[in-house]
Amino acid sequence: MKSAPLRRPLSDSEIEVSIRGLSVSYQTSTGLYDAIHDLSLAIHRGSITAIIGESGSGKSTLAMAMLNSVTFPGQIRMGAIDYADVGDITGLSAESLRRFRGEHAAMVFQASQDTLNPLKRVGAQLLDMARSHGHRDRKAILREGSLLAERMSLPASRVMAAYQHELSGGMRQRVSMIFALALKPRVVLLDEPTTALDVLSQSHVLQIVRAIHEERHLTTVLITHDMGVVAELSDRVVVMYAGRIMEDAPSQDLLRAPRHPYAKALIRAIPRLTGPLDRAQALPGAPLELRQIPVVGCVFRDRCTLRQSICDEVTPVLREVVPGHRTACHLEVES
Amino acid sequence: MIEVVDLTRTFRGAGGLFAQSDVRALRKVSLKVERGAALGLIGESGCGKTTLGRIVCGLETFDGGDLLIDNQSVKTLGDRARRKAFRKVQLIHQDPYSALNPTRDIAHALIDPLRIQAGLTRRDQAWVKRRAMELLSLVGLDPQETLYKFPHQLSGGQRQRVVIARALTVEPEALIADEAVSMIDVSLRLGVLHLLATLRRELNLAIVLITHDVAAARYVAHDGELAVIYKGEIVEQGKTDQIISRPVHPYTQALLSAVPVLRGLEVEGPDRYIPEPEVQDQGLEPVGCLFSTRCVFADEHCRGHHPDLSKWGDGDRLMACFKPQERRVVAVAVDATRQA
Repeated sequence: MKSAPLRRPLSDSEIEVSIRGLSVSYQTSTGLYDAIHDLSLAIHRGSITAIIGESGSGKSTLAMAMLNSVTFPGQIRMGAIDYADVGDITGLSAESLRRFRGEHAAMVFQASQDTLNPLKRVGAQLLDMARSHGHRDRKAILREGSLLAERMSLPASRVMAAYQHELSGGMRQRVSMIFALALKPRVVLLDEPTTALDVLSQSHVLQIVRAIHEERHLTTVLITHDMGVVAELSDRVVVMYAGRIMEDAPSQDLLRAPRHPYAKALIRAIPRLTGPLDRAQALPGAPLELRQIPVVGCVFRDRCTLRQSICDEVTPVLREVVPGHRTACHLEVES
Repeated sequence: MIEVVDLTRTFRGAGGLFAQSDVRALRKVSLKVERGAALGLIGESGCGKTTLGRIVCGLETFDGGDLLIDNQSVKTLGDRARRKAFRKVQLIHQDPYSALNPTRDIAHALIDPLRIQAGLTRRDQAWVKRRAMELLSLVGLDPQETLYKFPHQLSGGQRQRVVIARALTVEPEALIADEAVSMIDVSLRLGVLHLLATLRRELNLAIVLITHDVAAARYVAHDGELAVIYKGEIVEQGKTDQIISRPVHPYTQALLSAVPVLRGLEVEGPDRYIPEPEVQDQGLEPVGCLFSTRCVFADEHCRGHHPDLSKWGDGDRLMACFKPQERRVVAVAVDATRQA
């Protein structure tokens, strides 16, 4: 089952990905805006780390940055992203980067149906991908694909011969996981892997993700807006808002005792099956747009019920409140 | 207000890889929703719940049974009368991103249908503008701020509120919300669900929430009913809180078990079981219970005979299972277990 939450500082040998001082900005007609602002995060080898946030929180941008795939008008403005045994990927050449993506770190995209070629059978696309990464052994790659398909309870031979429109949503999601895993990467990024799925398919996909994570000793990063998915799958959760980390804690700790008002509000807003109806409260307001993000002070203050003058004037620093649990709130530190 | 009786709809098979035979989207479904009532239609993708919603709004035809709006069979109505009847039933789509024209501002999205409505009810143009503002405040948006925005300037939750406001322009008596919150951030869903519950109360609207998310249905229909649909058939139906706390059909139990447990806040329900993964449809029409191919409790009898919807317990509860048994599969809040 789940590994115990890590409560001590990580040594370098346990860190698979280290993000330091990362800023990703978008150039718009009215100026340059940070979608990710001075973000630092160390991801533990073998962990499942969830990154949770609303639309526009920068979580998908962070995932793209982790593969150095941010596209124009976005750019990695500052910072470094170190992978163990690879180094800083922001300095890789185009060809090394192409090899790195897929062989070392791979991503499963949200709208997986859009990532499959509608005119090619799944097996042929798998071969294309393998060839572009220098694999000559066609049989081996098809065997690996079929193995993964069976692992995901898909009928291997039929899926390999299928076009994407012949597959259901849950099946397509699993097929795109086959693509991500076929080249045996060490790090897998999943961007909203279950958002388009209904509850039974979701539960099935989450089971598969956890099983494969353990079998292949992966380091998994999960991007989601759904706290249920976090609770079901991840060891640790990073709460993002307006491109910054608000809170970072072992998942069960965060659910039991969230510290940041934003994390509290996110948890309170989950529709629940039991308990009093008024226990769940809608999160007021809407997420910030890029150009509305304040430069000074707490970015969450407009939606925060505890707002004080210090929140307008001083930017809160992300600091450790108990070992392994970081939060960025003035009021938390004072209380 | 809306009643369907033995409603049947079969789609002629398209040649997909796994579904080459005809698809029986609805098999003799009977349901009734009164004004001011709420009904949650629960089921997976492909169970027919969307087809049912579209039939009730007049966007889809049916080939068996009957649909009654205000006690009148739509089959007996002429074109004009049928249009008028269906105007009372408005659909809220799943995707607020594609339901609004991206090149037109919110004012236009509301004013076009309001003009038609003004023509029908002999009201003037000043009313149109006033009504647009009224509707926006009714759905919890700031009219001044929202009216001249374009859809891309709004969040998913705000967009869905605009879609709801637009549905209200024709003064409907029922709203059919088809997965109305599934594409919205979890953090903003509750706001939209609360809005539907408020509209139901204040405008005496009937609300049908079509969803795979039982928790969402609970916030709109907590004092209403749930109907669980599997492969076009109702398998369990009853009061919302009863279905959630004491489901008897294994399919309902599977759906509820699959809802993630918020570990730290909740513990697993005592009888929770992880459902069987989806089975590939062999294209053959099973003789027995439709769920028997996936059901962990099914035996030979279940595979050979088809269970009919019948009464369970006291009250208005219905279920279709040969081996009904109450199971508590829903997660329990940690503070509730401490009190016990």
